[in-house]
Amino acid sequence: MENIDKKLREEAKRLLEEKRVDALVGYETGTLPLTATPCFITNPEDAEKLVWNAFCTQNLAKYVHDLISQHRESQKRVKPEDRKKKVFGVVARGCTTRSIVLHLQERQYARDEIVIVGVPCTGYVDRKQLSIIVSGEDIQEGTLEGDQLVVKTTAGEKRIPLQDALSGNCLTCKFNNPIICDVMIGEKAPAIAGAAQEYAEVEDFENLPTEERWAYFTKEMAKCIRCYACRQACPSCYCKTCFVEQSQPQWVGLGEDTTDTQVFQLMRLFHMVGRCVDCGSCISVCPMGVDLRKFLKKLDKDVLDLFESRAGSSMEDLPPLSRFKEHDKEDFVFNP
Amino acid sequence: MEKRLIKKDALTGIIGKIAADTTVYAPVKVEDNVLFKVLEKGDEPLVTLANTKNAPKNFFFPRTEVMLRYTRTTKGMEFSGGEKEAAEAVIFGVRPCDARSFVLLDMLFDQEKYKDPYYIDKRQKTTIVSLACAHPPYATCFCTSVDGQPVSSAGADILLVDLGDQYLAEFITAKGEKLLKYFGDAKADAAADQKKEAIAAQAEKEIKVQIPAKAIKPILDVNFEHPFWDTIYQKCLACGTCTFLCPTCHCFDISDEMKDGDGRRLRNWDSCMFPMFTRETSGHNPRTSQKERWRQRAMHKFKYYVDNFNAIACVGCGRCVMYCPVNIDIRKIVEDISKL
Repeated sequence: MENIDKKLREEAKRLLEEKRVDALVGYETGTLPLTATPCFITNPEDAEKLVWNAFCTQNLAKYVHDLISQHRESQKRVKPEDRKKKVFGVVARGCTTRSIVLHLQERQYARDEIVIVGVPCTGYVDRKQLSIIVSGEDIQEGTLEGDQLVVKTTAGEKRIPLQDALSGNCLTCKFNNPIICDVMIGEKAPAIAGAAQEYAEVEDFENLPTEERWAYFTKEMAKCIRCYACRQACPSCYCKTCFVEQSQPQWVGLGEDTTDTQVFQLMRLFHMVGRCVDCGSCISVCPMGVDLRKFLKKLDKDVLDLFESRAGSSMEDLPPLSRFKEHDKEDFVFNP
Repeated sequence: MEKRLIKKDALTGIIGKIAADTTVYAPVKVEDNVLFKVLEKGDEPLVTLANTKNAPKNFFFPRTEVMLRYTRTTKGMEFSGGEKEAAEAVIFGVRPCDARSFVLLDMLFDQEKYKDPYYIDKRQKTTIVSLACAHPPYATCFCTSVDGQPVSSAGADILLVDLGDQYLAEFITAKGEKLLKYFGDAKADAAADQKKEAIAAQAEKEIKVQIPAKAIKPILDVNFEHPFWDTIYQKCLACGTCTFLCPTCHCFDISDEMKDGDGRRLRNWDSCMFPMFTRETSGHNPRTSQKERWRQRAMHKFKYYVDNFNAIACVGCGRCVMYCPVNIDIRKIVEDISKL
């Protein structure tokens, strides 16, 4: 890993020095044990901060979209002849590049506005899972030694196999190497063993009676406090004004009414059809631990079954809602 | 002040007895979260816990509150009150930092000039049983930097201190004394007091984080415009995790919901982190980016609240530090401001 950090820093420094990028989004070590946090680098010397490890959680494509739209917005008030183009670099693993592919397919920005620094990925640590493993004890110190997490809590020291603490989406990931990139750091990561069972959980869920599935949905949604962290972290959620925030008409109430919360989440889920890359960002940021993935994964499976499409899996694989195919299945429209 | 000693294993029973007579809010394990909730039959209140994920402010300042209801009639609008008056209640298991948040919230909701009847009604009818931190539960705890203490009765009606083999219960207020009957009659002696003092001193020592929270006010006074503000906001997702879990954040938004002729006016939690927070009817937004929003959050906690009430609007519970999805650490921000 040290080696990969070194290569990453060198590459980032070079990109900034050669002015191939105006800024680079990556990860730096966080202030809490066993964390990494997004960082923004404009100064080549600051490339030393960059890290790439199992604690890098957030899908950085979200920030790429933000930075480019903010820059474009700022250029609107500039005379056309004085407008400047900005290029943003991004440290991207498989799912991040899937989001970038989706952005490109959805014409959110042009390929030459970004430089993708690809990194191999073997999964990231799920903080909530880690907390469950240590029985909710406060994690006071921690290090990663090989494939073992050494965690010091108030109850003492504990060694945890990294594999046990990985996020659910990482354990069944089929896209753990960049789909597209301008420069690849390190060797490609080996395929993830659990990828063959990608939909096992969804299939179990599908086999439950309707009432049980509804009960599960209701139970999970009851945890939601409408902080919108899921929406904010999601690279596919980039509407300038979310329907939740529209007031004329007001689609959904702002209070803690059960149905309002369910409507918000249902609408968001359906906006993810053919657009969710299973990066797990929404789940990792959720302070209440709502199991959004169950439903997102179901939609993902439906899109694969019905339209043979995987969000952002290649530049050619257009999202089903952005393309027309004569033989697209449509029987479910008339006969659900 | 009345003081009682209670056996360690008697505490759950005491809470159960109180819960049989009145509404009790207590920390309960709900799936993987420890949350304050209304204690219902079959719920097991936690007596050994670190702290809850949600702050207890919800009981006085709910996430959604009906302020009034109205009906359109041929004679015009008819109005009626919002929620019915609050019932007597007890919140059990409040950590001293969270108990102190009530003192801070009182300054705003129950001040001489403005009185918030919704908050005050519930606040007055609720007894707060605080559970002192004999050992501060998190490495991120920093209550002593913001005028708090791990063993403190500020904001509490009853303070419970874990003496190791038993609990010392101090009945701080008259409201607290009303619950005296549940706590048995083993009066505390001077030895218990001494033990408590020793525990308090030790607990304070165990808090490792010290931040210059009280020193930054004069710096904030003159640095509304400073390049520093450009450096902290970029990774902020603009979600409401920090403000919604914060025990002292109290901003709200009022909205009307109407269907046919019937409507209700709601007060909902809002967050200065939301881009919508300051958007005006015209569409103009004076806080154009997350930079202005983050400056507001820092200023409100460490400057405006001090200007208005001479107190920092932070109790050092560390929730925002632990649960911020992108690790924006208020301790580091305060530290950095102190060096401007």
